[in-house]
Amino acid sequence: MFDDIAFWVSYLTNGKHLTWYASFQFTIIAALLGGALAVIFGLTGATLKNSRFWPLRMIGTVYSAIVRGVPDVLFFLFFPLAFEQGVEWFVASQVCTPEMIAAQSAPWPPCKEANWFLGTPEYLILASVSLGLVYGAFATNVIHGAMRSVPAGQLEAARAYGMSESQVLWRVHIRQMWVYALPGLSNVWMLIIKATSLLSLLQIADIVLWADRLGAPNFLPTVGLVHDDWRWRYYLVLFVFYILVTWLSERAFDAITRRVGRGILSEAHG
Amino acid sequence: MKNVLLAAAAVLALGAPAFAQENVRIATEGAYAPWNFLNDAGEPAGFEIDLGNAICEKAGLTCEWILNDWDSMIPNMLAGNYDMLMAGMSITEERQQTIDFTQNYFPPDPSKFVAAPGANFDFANLQGARIGVQSGTIQAAYAEANLAEGNTIVSFATADQNMADLMAGNIDTILADGAYLEPIVTAANGAIEFVGEDVLIGGGVGAGLRKEDTELKAKLDEAITALKADGTVDKLIGQWFEGQGPFFTE
Repeated sequence: MFDDIAFWVSYLTNGKHLTWYASFQFTIIAALLGGALAVIFGLTGATLKNSRFWPLRMIGTVYSAIVRGVPDVLFFLFFPLAFEQGVEWFVASQVCTPEMIAAQSAPWPPCKEANWFLGTPEYLILASVSLGLVYGAFATNVIHGAMRSVPAGQLEAARAYGMSESQVLWRVHIRQMWVYALPGLSNVWMLIIKATSLLSLLQIADIVLWADRLGAPNFLPTVGLVHDDWRWRYYLVLFVFYILVTWLSERAFDAITRRVGRGILSEAHG
Repeated sequence: MKNVLLAAAAVLALGAPAFAQENVRIATEGAYAPWNFLNDAGEPAGFEIDLGNAICEKAGLTCEWILNDWDSMIPNMLAGNYDMLMAGMSITEERQQTIDFTQNYFPPDPSKFVAAPGANFDFANLQGARIGVQSGTIQAAYAEANLAEGNTIVSFATADQNMADLMAGNIDTILADGAYLEPIVTAANGAIEFVGEDVLIGGGVGAGLRKEDTELKAKLDEAITALKADGTVDKLIGQWFEGQGPFFTE
């Protein structure tokens, strides 16, 4: 009995498992950074959509319409690759000399000196930006709708007090907007959390990749513990993790909603 | 749009130091024991890791191992994510159209079928079988070309998943590298066995490189020749593949 427990404790704390536990940081970083960027892109998109200048309005509308329609997996694969090549193209235009280009036989990049090695930190940032872009499009719509929900009387009252347009925007309009936007944004946040399971597509050794690797059957004693296909056990752990994150997020959003709704509108508490 | 540019500038600033790299990055799958796998410490280990480190030492290179899925191994090397790959990859003409290989460090290895005991296949006229292969392998290409008619070819992302599905009875047989199957069949204690005839495909296993890296290729080939001659390659093969070799020394 004690031997069993000791065995499982040492198995579950071997380097392989510790790496898996550590990889949860990638998921959490991607979710938080992606979420923050989504709010920034959402605010920008909503502001553009509200703009009186039609080209800006078009940009906001096109952004939220197109990006919302593209499957997140596709965008996740497309954006980092396109961005990497874009950077390489830009660097190439700066550093490549004709001799360097002549020495390069591969189709891409134009010269070897322009090649950009992407490691986990770079991919993690690109993944977070992708998440921010995709879910920022949803946030754009949520925030746009919320901006229109702020009663016109509030804004008129603010102007009557002599506030400038930007004061009205930041102190009254956006400040009150959150009350209406939060339920929608909490939905977007849940979607972002779910989408973090895509990180392994970018060769980031994240929790899903490690669950796959650790759960894969092993037949050879030289490799480690011999076991059957245990992937479902590891997936179950991820399942529990995501439920836990969902539960914590709901608690957090409840608290934030109460905080931003303080003293503003009674109907917001319903 | 402005935000995208700002984000671009931020990423560029963070990623900039990564441009200048002197050492050689070697990609491996880490899911193909005993060729390459992740040991209990979570680090790459296996025949190719030992050999790769020996080659790098011989050639005076600083090497770093990178994990990459099998499926995207070649495209990601062409994209410059790493400089070479050692992942049990057989040298084939088809692959040589896109990448280069060093000389082989494991001789041509017959592919074999395995199945549960008592499975009775008529290999001369195979019909109605569910054949498992790892996608993007020489066996997958062989099965698609020769066995697709009347049978179902089932592709798996990793060799281990393929094996798990055979054990679970989801497929009838597997076609894979003999050197990969051999230790598993031994360890399985009769749960699976070799069936049918060996299939001879592939020109041995070598390290893959980008075509333009001729200087690196020359260095590696020289190191491999030396390690073959002094018995290091055979020693490692004997150590990781029971009963195989010696191939390169008397």
